[in-house]
Amino acid sequence: MPRAPVSAPPVLEVEQLVKRYRDVTALAGVSLTIGTGEIFALLGPNGAGKTTLIGAVCGLVKKTSGTIRVFGVDLDLDPLRPRYDVGLVPQEVNFDPFFTVTESLRIQLGYYARPPDEARIREVLEALSLGEKANAQTRTLSGGMKRRLLIAKALVHRPKLVFLDEPTAGVDVELRRDLWTYVRRLRSEGTTVILTTHYLEEAEELADRVGVIDSGRLLLVEDKVALLRRMGEKRVRITFSAPVGPLPPELDGKAELAQDRRSLVVTERNGRPSAGEVLQQLYRGGFPVAEVDTRASRLEDVLIEILRGGGGAA
Amino acid sequence: MNVSGLRTLFVKEVRRFLRVPGQTVLSPLISTTLYFVVFGVSLGGRMEEATGQRYLPFIVPGLVFLGLANNAFLNTSSSLFIMKIQGTIVDLLVAPLGPAEILLGFVGGGMVRGLVVGLLTWGVALVFSGLQLAHPLVTLGFLVGTAYVFSVLGLVAAVWAEKFEQINFFPTFVMLPLTFLGGVFYSISRLPEPWRTISHFNPMVYMVEGLRYGMLGTAALPPGIGALMLTLLAIASTAVTYMLLASGYKLKQ
Repeated sequence: MPRAPVSAPPVLEVEQLVKRYRDVTALAGVSLTIGTGEIFALLGPNGAGKTTLIGAVCGLVKKTSGTIRVFGVDLDLDPLRPRYDVGLVPQEVNFDPFFTVTESLRIQLGYYARPPDEARIREVLEALSLGEKANAQTRTLSGGMKRRLLIAKALVHRPKLVFLDEPTAGVDVELRRDLWTYVRRLRSEGTTVILTTHYLEEAEELADRVGVIDSGRLLLVEDKVALLRRMGEKRVRITFSAPVGPLPPELDGKAELAQDRRSLVVTERNGRPSAGEVLQQLYRGGFPVAEVDTRASRLEDVLIEILRGGGGAA
Repeated sequence: MNVSGLRTLFVKEVRRFLRVPGQTVLSPLISTTLYFVVFGVSLGGRMEEATGQRYLPFIVPGLVFLGLANNAFLNTSSSLFIMKIQGTIVDLLVAPLGPAEILLGFVGGGMVRGLVVGLLTWGVALVFSGLQLAHPLVTLGFLVGTAYVFSVLGLVAAVWAEKFEQINFFPTFVMLPLTFLGGVFYSISRLPEPWRTISHFNPMVYMVEGLRYGMLGTAALPPGIGALMLTLLAIASTAVTYMLLASGYKLKQ
């Protein structure tokens, strides 16, 4: 998996970004740095500020304060130059009903000052399974096809930085698979991808790093591998038929007894301490074990914990 | 300046209205032709008796102005407004297009549609009244100036409007009455007071009279005032639109 060289300048630097609407603070001082060739997944509930953050970088949202640098260029000083190499797949599907699929992509190439490139258009259309619709009017496309076109429009000019804002929301499995394949290909070509998604599986599948945002604050930015390690946790809940006395000394620091002394929770990390060992010690000590519930934690659990305030630092 | 982006937007705007020629070119042409038939041919005889002037050639500049100004305005206003409603405005805002490129791209498209309809209207007029072109350069100046100003005004309306009702406000409640009362069908010199004086506050009067001077060689008002008014309007509307686009007013969140 190619990662950004340490010395490479950041593709995106956001410092203390604030966006306030009348009564709402959509972004409350977000700082974030994204390296070249990285795939970064931004996660968070609806209204967390994901789309606002992307919009502020892409020129759709006027920031209240803070600094945004794209390819090292401060957008306050030169908002247009970096945009030649940025692509955005917006969350909302849109299409221009006056033009065909191919014409829409030609227009996109023109906006980005790229010469007409029919081979590139064909390549993008094929990659997104739109080849057969090349000459179709955009208004005749199905919902899924329109979303494919949206992705094609964002990529046809070979941007170095791509934003995918909920690219697979409400689409079929096939498109999701196609998109994942294409995003991996982009990464192999050195393109930086920032995506927001509700599908944690998608983040897990694609991202190098994950950021969690809520109420306009970036709660966590973490390497995916580290996050997966957290996902490896297993929680074992043991319920007793009656309140119990002090736990055996072997379980000190390994298990957490509830206040009513009727249950305890063991958190197993990387197989230690194993639920079996704990149970053996409990049986050996004559504890009245009534029920054992084992649950492997998932990314959702980690995120919920973070969103409740129990997560790491950004 | 992103010349490729500007050219692309301009060509897209022209192709957009050419995709629906029945709506964008033919329909206004039929309306204007009906004006010729109703006002020129049917009522023209009586007007000639009253004024002693040939009436059909008299209304040609006003009707050309009407078709040109309306369609220049409608092209930019409807195109940008529809982009706002459909969400395709995102494509423009994210692309490396500055306020100048967006302004000139849209206005160029609006001017082409306005001039196409204006010139076709003139072509229809030739059938009824024959060609009269006293001052070609003055005529060209007023045609191009009018197309530019109303295209820019259409852009302002589209930026401002949030509902379909609002986008129709300017053409229905401002442009149409001012144009009809702006000496298209009559000469303001024949109006009784106080209407004659009131008419002098209508900017359309100067533009129509300027075009009339260019085409027919005579007009109720000096063409210089119309040219000055168009120039001032062009400067002011361009400055306002540029600032609106640069600030992202009602386009960006």
